Amino acid sequence: MSELAALLRQRIRRDRLQLFFWIGGTALLALFAATAVATTYGNAAERDQILALAIQSPAILILRGLPQGGGLDAFVFFEIFTYLALLAAMMSTFLAVRHTRAEEESGRAELIGSTPAGRTLPTVATLVHGVSANILIGLGVFAGLALGGMAVDGSLIAGVATTATGIVFLAIGMLAAQFMRTSRGANGLAVALVGLAFLLRGVGDALGTRTGPLSLASAWPSWLSPIGWAQHTAAYTENTLAPLLLSATLAVLCFVAVFVLQGVRDSGASLIPERRGRASAGATLSSSFGLAWRLQWGTILGWSVGGAAFGLLAGTLSSLVQQAAASDPSIQQSLQSIVGSAGSMTQTLVAAMFSFVGVLAAACATQAVIRMRQEEALGTAELVLSSPVSRVRWLVDYLVLGLVAIAIVLAASAGVAALSLAASGDGSVGAGDVFATAAAQLPAALIYLGVLSLLFVLVPKAMIAAGWAFVAVGVVVGNFGGLIGMPQWLRDVSPFTHTPVITGSTTDWSGAVWMAAIALVAVGASVVLMRRREVSTA
Amino acid sequence: MNAVIEVRALEKRYGRVLALNGLDLDVADGEVHGFLGPNGAGKSTTIRILLGLARATSGRATVFGRDPWTDAKDLHRRIGYVPGDVNLWPNISGGEAIDLISRLRGGAADKAAYAARKRRLVEAFQFDPTKKGRAYSKGNRQKVALIAAFVTRADLLILDEPTSGLDPLMESVFEQEIRRAAGEGTTVLLSSHILSEVEQLCDRVTIIRAGATAETGTLAELRHLTRTEVAFVSGGLTNAQLTSIPDAHDLLVDAGRARFSVDSDRLAPVLSALGALDVQGLTIAPPSLEELFLRHYGEQLDGAGAGAAPTGDASAPAVSPRHAEGANRR
Ligand SMILES: Nc1ncnc2c1ncn2[C@@H]1O[C@H](COP(=O)(O)OP(=O)(O)OP(=O)(O)O)[C@@H](O)[C@H]1O
Ligand SMILES: [Mg+2]
Repeated sequence: MSELAALLRQRIRRDRLQLFFWIGGTALLALFAATAVATTYGNAAERDQILALAIQSPAILILRGLPQGGGLDAFVFFEIFTYLALLAAMMSTFLAVRHTRAEEESGRAELIGSTPAGRTLPTVATLVHGVSANILIGLGVFAGLALGGMAVDGSLIAGVATTATGIVFLAIGMLAAQFMRTSRGANGLAVALVGLAFLLRGVGDALGTRTGPLSLASAWPSWLSPIGWAQHTAAYTENTLAPLLLSATLAVLCFVAVFVLQGVRDSGASLIPERRGRASAGATLSSSFGLAWRLQWGTILGWSVGGAAFGLLAGTLSSLVQQAAASDPSIQQSLQSIVGSAGSMTQTLVAAMFSFVGVLAAACATQAVIRMRQEEALGTAELVLSSPVSRVRWLVDYLVLGLVAIAIVLAASAGVAALSLAASGDGSVGAGDVFATAAAQLPAALIYLGVLSLLFVLVPKAMIAAGWAFVAVGVVVGNFGGLIGMPQWLRDVSPFTHTPVITGSTTDWSGAVWMAAIALVAVGASVVLMRRREVSTA
Repeated sequence: MNAVIEVRALEKRYGRVLALNGLDLDVADGEVHGFLGPNGAGKSTTIRILLGLARATSGRATVFGRDPWTDAKDLHRRIGYVPGDVNLWPNISGGEAIDLISRLRGGAADKAAYAARKRRLVEAFQFDPTKKGRAYSKGNRQKVALIAAFVTRADLLILDEPTSGLDPLMESVFEQEIRRAAGEGTTVLLSSHILSEVEQLCDRVTIIRAGATAETGTLAELRHLTRTEVAFVSGGLTNAQLTSIPDAHDLLVDAGRARFSVDSDRLAPVLSALGALDVQGLTIAPPSLEELFLRHYGEQLDGAGAGAAPTGDASAPAVSPRHAEGANRR
């Protein structure tokens, strides 16, 4: 017992700051959403109008949730809940992998495993720690919504649903850690499953059937997703905890699997066996750029598949939108007034989907620069930098690779979107427009590449956390800034706010030009400063 | 002889920590130079500065007459390096890592010759090149860096504790390879905690302590600087007689034997005094390398060292320590 307490203390100590930001940020998002919706959409007629529109446009349903009538509280739940659940899921998968596979990979788990704590107790401690964090995030969501003036019982249901989602993904993250050999692999798998859950829920909602004038019942794909289950609690309207039985069952099954697997495998080993490598290197491994590519192509492929999925979605959903608009022309007018441009429905949908692709591209660029720091901290960079490769050359190789990675992600999603649009017979958006929309995402991604490169040179030890925080802030401020009533100057902080929206003939490219210029200056500065920078190990 | 490495009054500060505090180091062309010092003395820091991975706070360091911070890229064409902690890319095999490093250094241009050298070293070190980086044991990770350092001919090898984790058999392979490289004219800077290895391989050594040079010279020169232990049966001798022995330090009578130490170059008058006293059961132990190092390493633990550190000027010894050691070993 005292060992478990010690292991728990160590976990809390290590995570306290990080979890403070995850939980605090999620609670604040809930609070701001509740108060902002009350002030912005306090008028019931206005809400009804928006919901009527949303029900007709799958893009909005995917990005928000399942409409459950025009009540104020239900409207807030529709607007924000899937994101609260998403945040809890992300927090939990990272937490799970951080304390299991990452520890094994670094060899620290062996230190613990050799003490009386043994091999299983650390996993128990991670479970307890993760469940506690999720109870806290649920309480945070409950408090945020209730303080925002929403019904107490419904807020409690929303909090419990958030906790349940987090715990399911805690279990999934711990299971992924059993299977994968590296923490990078385990994080990748777990986050991909979170993304899949969000997407399944989105598709299910988009294909939902009407149950009332302003409410929908989602289609079956949503019932395959833990985030979908949480959403089906229908807080503030039906207030039922029954769907969470599914969450509990899945979590328990995963936890049982985790402990069974943990019992049969060696510490540090994975269930996917190690393949032998080559005795001598292929042609790729001849330069530091070749090495960077070899280290990262798998990750780039992962982001590209994600981008292609959004491209596919844009194409396949467009035909549904076309049908809806054909039956009711007023839908198109309302949608255009929201986006603030004169583009077609399909164009609007493509723009909305590519705003996600832009985030993927930026995250991919972020990861490319972070990889450089990881190489440095691990000590493998030293092997390269003690050969005739200068520090500047090494930096430039990684930045070029980041640029290539962004281009691949954008090209993959644009290619798939154009193909699927063509296949659906929708001629309203040509391939040229699709690629222009993809290209419009480039400057924001370049900002991430440039700023992170500068952070890498100036504050290497803080750059990994700072990099992901910058992505998170960019997404939250960019996507929710409007919803939660942030002032414009604050919204302008996010690069994504300045991404041009291509919906008509007159596109404002000035934001793109500015961002590209800033990125270029940041890259230039980091190259110059890199001449003077030491190789800094962990 | 030309200096390959020349370091003067080198200082390196990490925030409040003064890692190097006026270090001097000279490595001549073609020599194998031992670089010794207790944990945290600053060996790896010096090596990182010599490779241009870190920048000196003040002082001067040159390699082949050039500044490693500004000319790193050119210098690295001539240098082979084994880091203190060898970390490999988790999903790249050992064989691939060796090829990559060699190609970056431009040493794999002649494919056939390179392949032959690599094959020879892989066999000599009994190394399996097909495992992925994360699957190697510590010693095997070390072998990757060693093979990569030896497979391309270098003008200078900088080795930071290169044999840590190697088994004794592999250590002897390592020693062979160092001799082979030295035979081809390669200069070697070898940081090590393994004294037998240093004794076997090094022409000269530098001992550093708390970021500053404590001693430098050939092993024979350094031996002169330490004291020889003398012991004999104390029965039948008065205290006055014992204290009359010249130059005896730390005199102690214990279990019927008197012991003291004496500076190795002051042995002759001691011997005649002992002869006059007609002592019985006399043993004279020359300083071993271990004692030499324990002395230098230990002084750091004692703090200031109480001024006991002998200075570096080696006066002509009265008794050759090598000779004395040989006689003692029998
Ligand atoms: N990046 C750094 N930041 C702060 N202090 C450092 C850093 N690198 C080294 N030091 C400090 O500098 C001193 C010298 O360290 P160094 O690694 O050079 O020792 P060493 O002689 O190689 O020791 P060992 O025999 O253990 O390898 C130590 O006190 C160490 O703590
Ligand atoms: Mg060291």
